[in-house]
Parts: sequence; C-alpha cells; structure tokens
Amino acid sequence: MIWKIAKKEFLLNLMTFKFVVGMILSVVLMSVFMPVLVSDYQQSLKDYNENVAANEAELTKVKVYKNITPTVYRPPNVLSVFSGGVDNQLDRSEKIDIFGGSNIILEAEGYNSLLSVFPALEVTLIFKIVMSILTLLIAYDVISGEREQGTLKLILSNTAVRYKVLLGKLVAGLMTLIMPVTASFILGLLILLSSNMISLTGIQWFRIALMYFASLVFVTAMFNLALLLSCLCRSSATSLVFGLFLWLFLAAILPNSSAYIASQLKPIESDEEFSGKVKTVTDQLDSEINELNKDVKKDGSEDATDAPGAFGHTYYRLCNKSEMDYNRKKYSVMEPVKIKYFDKILGVKEVHLNDLVKQKQFADKLAGSSPIVLYENLMSVLAGTDFGNYKCFKNNVRTYGNEVADYIRFKTENFASTSYFTPCKEGDYERIIEIYYKPFLEAKDKEKKAELYKATIARYEQMVKETPPLNLQDMPKFSYRPQSIGDTLRQAIPKLGFLIIAGILFFSLSYVAFLRYDVR
Amino acid sequence: MIGPIVRKEILENFLSLRLVLSLILVIIVFAISGFVFVRKYEQQVQDYSKDTNHSLAYFQGHAERLYWIATLRHQFYRKPKALTLCAEGFEKSIPNCFSFNAFSRDYPQFKGRTNALLFSFNDVDWVFIISLFLSFAALIFAYNSCCGEKESGTLRLLLAGATPRHKVLLGKYLALMFIVGVPLLLGILVNLSIVTLSKDVAFGARAWAKILSIIVLSLLYLSVFVLLGMLISSRTSRSVNSIVILLFLWVGLVILVPSSGRIVAKTLRKIPTQAEMNRKIAEMTDQWLENLLAGKYGQNAGNTSRNIEESNPPGRARAFTALTEQNNKIIDEHMNQIINQVAIGRRYTRISPTEIYRQASETITGTGIGRFSDLRRQIRRYQDDLKDYVRSRDAEDPNSLHLLFDEMNAAEMWRTISHNPVDFDTVPKFQEHDLALGQSLKLAIWDIGLLVLFNLVFFAAAYVSFLRYDVR
Repeated sequence: MIWKIAKKEFLLNLMTFKFVVGMILSVVLMSVFMPVLVSDYQQSLKDYNENVAANEAELTKVKVYKNITPTVYRPPNVLSVFSGGVDNQLDRSEKIDIFGGSNIILEAEGYNSLLSVFPALEVTLIFKIVMSILTLLIAYDVISGEREQGTLKLILSNTAVRYKVLLGKLVAGLMTLIMPVTASFILGLLILLSSNMISLTGIQWFRIALMYFASLVFVTAMFNLALLLSCLCRSSATSLVFGLFLWLFLAAILPNSSAYIASQLKPIESDEEFSGKVKTVTDQLDSEINELNKDVKKDGSEDATDAPGAFGHTYYRLCNKSEMDYNRKKYSVMEPVKIKYFDKILGVKEVHLNDLVKQKQFADKLAGSSPIVLYENLMSVLAGTDFGNYKCFKNNVRTYGNEVADYIRFKTENFASTSYFTPCKEGDYERIIEIYYKPFLEAKDKEKKAELYKATIARYEQMVKETPPLNLQDMPKFSYRPQSIGDTLRQAIPKLGFLIIAGILFFSLSYVAFLRYDVR
Repeated sequence: MIGPIVRKEILENFLSLRLVLSLILVIIVFAISGFVFVRKYEQQVQDYSKDTNHSLAYFQGHAERLYWIATLRHQFYRKPKALTLCAEGFEKSIPNCFSFNAFSRDYPQFKGRTNALLFSFNDVDWVFIISLFLSFAALIFAYNSCCGEKESGTLRLLLAGATPRHKVLLGKYLALMFIVGVPLLLGILVNLSIVTLSKDVAFGARAWAKILSIIVLSLLYLSVFVLLGMLISSRTSRSVNSIVILLFLWVGLVILVPSSGRIVAKTLRKIPTQAEMNRKIAEMTDQWLENLLAGKYGQNAGNTSRNIEESNPPGRARAFTALTEQNNKIIDEHMNQIINQVAIGRRYTRISPTEIYRQASETITGTGIGRFSDLRRQIRRYQDDLKDYVRSRDAEDPNSLHLLFDEMNAAEMWRTISHNPVDFDTVPKFQEHDLALGQSLKLAIWDIGLLVLFNLVFFAAAYVSFLRYDVR
C-alpha cells in the first residue's frame, strides 16, 4: 500500500512545475558556480605551491641559525568548494619565529576583509537555500492539498491506514528530492574532477559521501517539517505561508540575529585590552633582559659587518673576537629567557583566540535550533573547513615552532655557538683586516686609497656571496595534519544525530496531527 | 473606482494570516534589532571615547613643540554612528583605526572588538530586515494578486463591469503597498522607540532627515517586489506556479546574486596581499637608500651628523619627501585596489535591486565602504591643513631651516622645523565630517534612479501582461 501511494505521489511530483523549476535551477546553479569555485580553489592551490617553493628556496640561503624564520602554509582544502566554512577567511600562513610565537591574526592574509559585504558563495548555500525551498514547495500541500481537492477522503475511505498514507507520502517526497540532490552532487563532482590539478583521496571521497548523506538527511528533516505544517493546516495556502515564513526565519533571520546577539551577550576583549596584556609580558621580558644585559658587558672594542641573509634578515659576516664573545654570551643567556616569555605571550594569545571561538560557538548554539544552520555547520565539519581544522593548523604550527627551536638549540649548543649569529671563524676578521683594510688605511695617495677601498668592498661582497649556506637537511619539516576522520566523525555525529532526531520528531508530530486531521 | 478596489484589497489582506505573521515577525525582529543596537552602540561609544581620549592626550602630551606636531603620528578612530542602526554597511569588517602625521599615512588597521569568525554574518539592521524579510513578505502578499482572483473567479466579475484594467492594477498596487507599508512602518516605529528611549543614542535633525529618506527608499525597494509579484501573478494562471517562480526569483535576486559578488570580484580583479605591499615598500625603501647614499638627492644628504656643515638638510628634505610620497603612494594604491575590487563586485551585483537598495542606503546614511573612502579623503585634506598650520607657524621662527619633512631626528638635530612651543588649542584637530542629506542623496542618485527604473519596468510589464491576461 505504501509503495502504491508513494509511486502515485512520485509520478505526480515529477510532472509538477515546481519540481521541474527546482531541478533545472539546481543543475544550472551548480553548472554556473561550480567551475568558478573550482577555479578559485585552483588559484589558491597555485599560490600555496608557489609560497611553499619560495619558502624552501629561502631556506637554502640561510647562513646562520638565527635567521631561520620560515613561513609555513595551510594548504587549501578542495572540499571547501562544497562548504567553505570559516576556511577561506582565516589566515593561511604563519611565520615560525622561535621568539615571535604564534600570531593571533585570524583574518587571512591576502583576504580582502571588505569583501565581507558579499555573503560567501558555496555549494552548501545552493543546498541550504534552493533545496530547502524546493522541499518546502513539494511538501506543503501533501495533506492539505489533497483535502482541498477531495482526494484525501477518498483514499481514507478505503482500507488504507493513515500511517501508511503518511509514510507513502514521505517515501514519494524523498524519491522526488533525491533526484536534484544526486544530480547536483554528480554534476558538481564531474566539474571538480574535470580539472587536471584535482584528484581526490579515499578519505575525501568518504567525506563527500558523508556530505551527500547529510544532504539527504537534511532534505528529509525539512520535508517532515513541511509535512507537519501541511498536517496542521486545513488550507494549503495557509500551510505555504507558514512554511515560507518559518523557512525565512530559520535560514536567514535566526543565524544572523544569533551572531548579532552573541557579539553583545558574549563580548570579547578589545584589541587594546589584549595588546595591553601582551605588553605587560613584553615589559617583564624587557626588564629581565635589561637586568641580564648588565651582566653581559661590552669591552668597547667590538666590531662586526652586516650582510643580507635569508628571510629578510641580516647577519654578521665578519666580527672580531670581542664581538663574538659578547654575542655568544648574550645569546646563550638571553635567548632561553626570550623563549620562556614568548611562551607566556602565546598563552595570552591563546586565551584571546579561545574567547573569539567561544563567541562564535555561542552564536552557533543560539542558532542551533535551526536545521538549516545545523546542516551548514555539519557540512563544514565534514568538509574539514570548520574552526576545528584551523585549530589543528595552529597546533601543528606550535609543535613545529618547538621542533625548530629544539633543532636550533641542539645545533648551536643552546645558542652559545657562533654559528647561531655568524659564519665567521675566529681570526677571520683579523686576517681580513690585515690583508685588505690595513693597506687601505695606510695608503697616503688619494687615488690609491679609493682603489683599495673599492677592492676591499669587492672582496667583501665576494666573500658574502661565497659564504656557504647552512646544511639544513636534518631540519624538521612542517607537515600539516588536518583533523583525522575519527575526530571529524566525533564532531559530525552529534550534529547528524540532531538532524535525524529532528526529522523523526517532525514526522512523529505529523503523524499525530494527521491522526486528528479532519479530512472533510 | 480605484478607491473601492484599494479598500477591498486592504480589507481582504488585513484578515489574512500572512499579514499577521509578517507583523508579528517584523515587529519582533525590529525590536531585537533595536535592543541589541542600543547595547552595541553604548559599548562602541565607550570604546571610542576611551581610545580617542587616549589618542588625543598622547597628541597633546607631545605637542609642546611645533616639530612634534608635524612629525608625531597620532591615531584616529572611526566614530560610532547612530545611523548604523539603519545600514551598518559591514563596518565591522572595515578597518577603523587610521594612523598618520602631517606627512605620512600608515595602513589602516582593525582596532576594537572585532571577531573575524563573525565577519560573514549580517548585522540585523533595517536594511537587512527590509531587504530580506519584507521583500519576501511583499512577494507573499503579491503572488496571487491576479492569478488568485482568477482561480476564485472574482477577476472576471470585476472586469465584467466598467472598470478598466489599468485601474484594477493600480488599485491592487496601491493596496499592496499599503499592506507592505504597515509592517514596515510599525517595525520602524518600534525600533526607533526603543533606540530613542536610550540615553546614549541621539539623532540630530540631519539624522532624522536621513532616516526619513531611508524609509522612502525602503518603500521604493519594496515596491519593486510588489510589482514583480504582480507581474508574475499576471503571467501565470495558477497561484502555485506564481509562488514557485517568485520564490526562486527571490532567491536569485536577494541571495545568489549578492553572494556571487565576492567570487566575481576575486576573479575579475586580482590584488596583491598586504605582505606583498610591505615587500614592495621594503624594496622601494632599499632603492631609495641606495639613491640617497649615491648622492641622488645631493652631496652628504645621507649624513646625519650633528654638525650641519657635514650634512645636507635641503638634500635630506628632498630625499625624505620623496620617500614619504613613495610610501603614501604605495599604501594609497593598495587601498584603492582593495576598494576597487569590492566596487567591481558591487557593480556586477547591481543587477539585483537588493544590492542597489543596500548600496543606496549605505550612501545615504554615510556608512560602509563609502564612508571608509571618504574618511581617507578627509584625512588627506586634514594632513594638508596640518601642514599649512605647521608651515605658517614655522615661518614665524627665524631659527628654523623651514624644511618640512617627515624625519623627527633631523627636525630635532638641525631644527629643520621650528622648536617653538605651540598652543594646542590652535592646532587643527581631525574631525570627521558627515555629508549633508543633499550631498548623500546626490551620491545615491544613480542607485535611486535604478530602483525607480526597476519600478517602471516592472509596472509597465505587469500592465502589459494584465492587459493580455485571460481572466477566464
């Protein structure tokens, strides 16, 4: 019986104007927007590859350990074309500076924040808006419409029991909706895979399958919600009006109002307050450094020459013994202190970051009663574009920063080796002065002096050029480890569970309402 | 004859569920918007006063000497504006702190309580409620204005009399505008009552005039959707088909077209990142330093010896003026690129009346990206004023070298700018100027014109469709 009703409803739905328009629209939107989103991803991937290559190239120019400040990059996520989440607007790179610590800047470097005037476009937007409206339009009159036409009493005057009628309608609705959802996913995937630069891993396929499943669960929940309205209203016009206003509330007003309210009910500290906290720690560091500086005294005969190094830094190409001793002592005493303080600063930054996240989570909680918001969040978790993955990147960076610090410590005997700040060996400076600079100083003839000066400069530049870079083969490499599929599932299952429960609840309420429905 | 039609339509709709739902929801959302705005505005005013007082105190504390006035960088914070109640213009994602002195400008920054994780959410301001909610309600009111009457058979009865079609259409239009106008005006009234009762928010005459303009603009915008609803209703014979088409059109015009602006802007205009801009500044500064040392700006211009004979202050002034202009140019160019990128997206999204309305509202209230651009212009003008002030005061000092350029050390060492004390009250202070209503409307004229055009086109199309409508 269920199958008969489902078949009849399904065939009727297929012939409706709303289904045709919805189907065409979802396919057209996917065909128009997916290539643009894929091209945007490809550009991000190209930028990422170029940045990583430039960073690697810069590492080969490092002459002293002090200059090791590489930048690590977060690779773009191919699944962000399905659900962008917060991925694109958060920073994609971080400079590893054992004294600079992790930065707090959430806004992506190169992301034009002014572009926030435009809402983000992604596949989830098409699903959450177009599919949910289509679902609503298909379901709003399944009961009330049949009552108006008088066919409902005919069905129920037979042996058909009410729950079977309702189940039949649910099955028909799902059979109808599965078509645009599947068509959109297949089309989207075809466009995605038609790009040469893109190939999906097994895990990514699994995630896409989960996203597809989540989309089906979502349309089921929305269908049941509209079914409930249809069972509660006697006229399909009333059901439609209720449904549309409810949809607008759930899709647009609730999420935006929640963010608006959250920003007021859960205020975050201002940048000035945050900077003040950081400054307190840096002031403590400065005073400790000043104290230490008193112990590390110069004898006044220090001399050194600067040379351009990697990552925009300079280093001492030549320094005399006095300078060498001074720096060796200075760095061995001060660098560990700096690291200790920058760890504290990192702690302050982390607290601030957590406050920002808590505000966002509060907004999500306020809007969590909307299946549309729930679906959007679920999709970003499954795509790996939620905040959890960004946090993973931050943790990876912190771990890598510590590894680099340990590496430098190990290589420089806890910052006490001269290789930390200069490639100059003991006696080099004095020898060069003796060979090149002394004749220049002693020359009386102006022309000769100028000639010697030029030669000295040329020799120095040659020496800088010939300075061999450090062998950093054994330096730890950064690897971005996104959230594992297990962690993703742990986050996704409650959200998916809520969507399923919402669907079941709406259907149960529809059943109760339908049992009491006056079919005349 | 129009009168009875209008009355009938209004009475019919007054008893409808859609009006009750619209009224309840609109009033609730406008009330929430009002309450949250008051709280937000209070916080913003507090933060602004604190930051501005701090900045002014710093400026005043260092303003004993004329050269400090010229070379000291001070910070200006964007003032919270009460009219963001109407159109916030995504100001939360636009830099709000400007640092500059008489010569140089830094890259604008974000200060305050910004959370990038919430950048993508709209503030629930009037424009948001009207552009999204009331436009939707307008379609719900209008979708069966013609085809619904055809289905119930009343349209042929109506037209069987002596009533010409244009009067029927006009009557329906006026009635629908009235019906849409009721929740709009009631919502705004509730919102304004909440806001004006707060002690922190006060509107001047200019602000009230702008609020009134926004209300008129909103009616013009909603009229587009009412006419669109009537057009589709007079093109379809079943109201269910009409609502299907209208809903998808609404999704396209209100959600998808504005959303595609970002991707269009990013695709059509690539801009360098801030890091690339900083690299460019560093490269150009290196080049400048080479030129300085090579004597391009004069012999000894690179020397900073206390003994003025061993240095070349005029050469150094030339060099630093070149450096300042070079850096200002790079920063300005980058900011212009950023703004132009958004402008491209906005130009494209103007095919949607929602975007037109949003942009026109921002222009009238003086918020958003337009305000940001205008602030940058005002800062440039202020820098000129400050420079003129420094120049005139400097001219009074016979001991000064009268070389105005952005190097505090040189000014201190060689007295390139006067060291005379300054009366802080006479120093020009930066004050953001709000545009008068006339000027704002002038700027928004194209957008308003486009909205009028949309209205005319939809009305003409609805009229033609209705003339040819088969009422049987």
